[in-house]
Amino acid sequence: MSEHHHDHDHDHDHDRTVKPMVNEITDFEVLEIALRELCIEKGLFTAADHRLFTEFAEQIGPTPAARLVARAWLDPEFKHLALTDPLAASKQVGVDWLDPTGFGTPSDFAAFKILENTPTIHHVIVCALCSCYPRPILGNSPEWYRTPNYRRRIVRWPRQVLSEFGLVLPDNVEVRVEDSNQKHRFMVMPLRPRGTDGWTEEQLAEIITRDCLIGVALPTPGVTTNVITKTRPAIRGIAH
Amino acid sequence: MSTAAQPPHDISVETLEEIAKRNQTWPVMAGKYGVENPVPPWKTSLDGMCDAIDRSCAGDDLGFSFQDRRDEEDVLSATRYADLPYPENQLVALAHSLVARGVIDEVELRRRLEAVRARLEA
Repeated sequence: MSEHHHDHDHDHDHDRTVKPMVNEITDFEVLEIALRELCIEKGLFTAADHRLFTEFAEQIGPTPAARLVARAWLDPEFKHLALTDPLAASKQVGVDWLDPTGFGTPSDFAAFKILENTPTIHHVIVCALCSCYPRPILGNSPEWYRTPNYRRRIVRWPRQVLSEFGLVLPDNVEVRVEDSNQKHRFMVMPLRPRGTDGWTEEQLAEIITRDCLIGVALPTPGVTTNVITKTRPAIRGIAH
Repeated sequence: MSTAAQPPHDISVETLEEIAKRNQTWPVMAGKYGVENPVPPWKTSLDGMCDAIDRSCAGDDLGFSFQDRRDEEDVLSATRYADLPYPENQLVALAHSLVARGVIDEVELRRRLEAVRARLEA
């Protein structure tokens, strides 16, 4: 890291070698702990249950869903399985809906269905009532999915809302909005885009982003993430 | 505060309103310290807490279902805690729902907040 001798005799600025942190205890951090402790003391759940659910929440993401769709694009038999028995197909990409956390069924256990897009039908999912989402296979929902704005408007004016995500569909494509609920979860199987002939499952999975599986975007060769990251020059912690 | 048959959002929880007013929200704190994480470090713990409550409280005497929790969160986030961003509004709404139901006493919550802060600052 540095050619300096690390003996701490010099005027060494450690703050420039580590990522910044919020160096203050906030009311919300305190509230989260206080609330959790009181819930545990009152028997609402145990500390072990909480830890397991938290671990589950931290490790889920859209990768299994992307793999499922990529495999379905490559293998007609698997595609048939995905559309007729989505729980069995999910299991083949490592997601067991009957026991996603490995310790029982969380609130988002559901009858799960995969919605196949066609050249003339485009699906998009929502939960008009709250924020139901296929979390075991798609991870935690994005913040905008939870907003009353998205939930109310996608049902009424789907094309307008999709265009706000940059997705403008031709008039001959019917838009179907599928409303999730406590018992039913959905995800979209988008069409395989042109320009992906000969691609491997891994290559295909990379372009099947979370938003494609919700239905507010289409997979596009070269677009492997919905996040546009800013770059900036590296911070040099030495040689000042 | 009363736990009579009032809708939870009609009940005022002074302790939580003070927290909301102090506004130590993640965007403010992250901006102050130059932190780039988009969400606060306690976010997944809150997710875990919501999941655990949804799993355990819907069918018991409390009858606090996933639907109740999310409905109240939506109403509270649009009214009493409208100035808070997500997930601060989710956290405060959850606390509000539990206090409003009498599961947690507000005085008890205030004492615990003081105790936790003292412990974290020790």
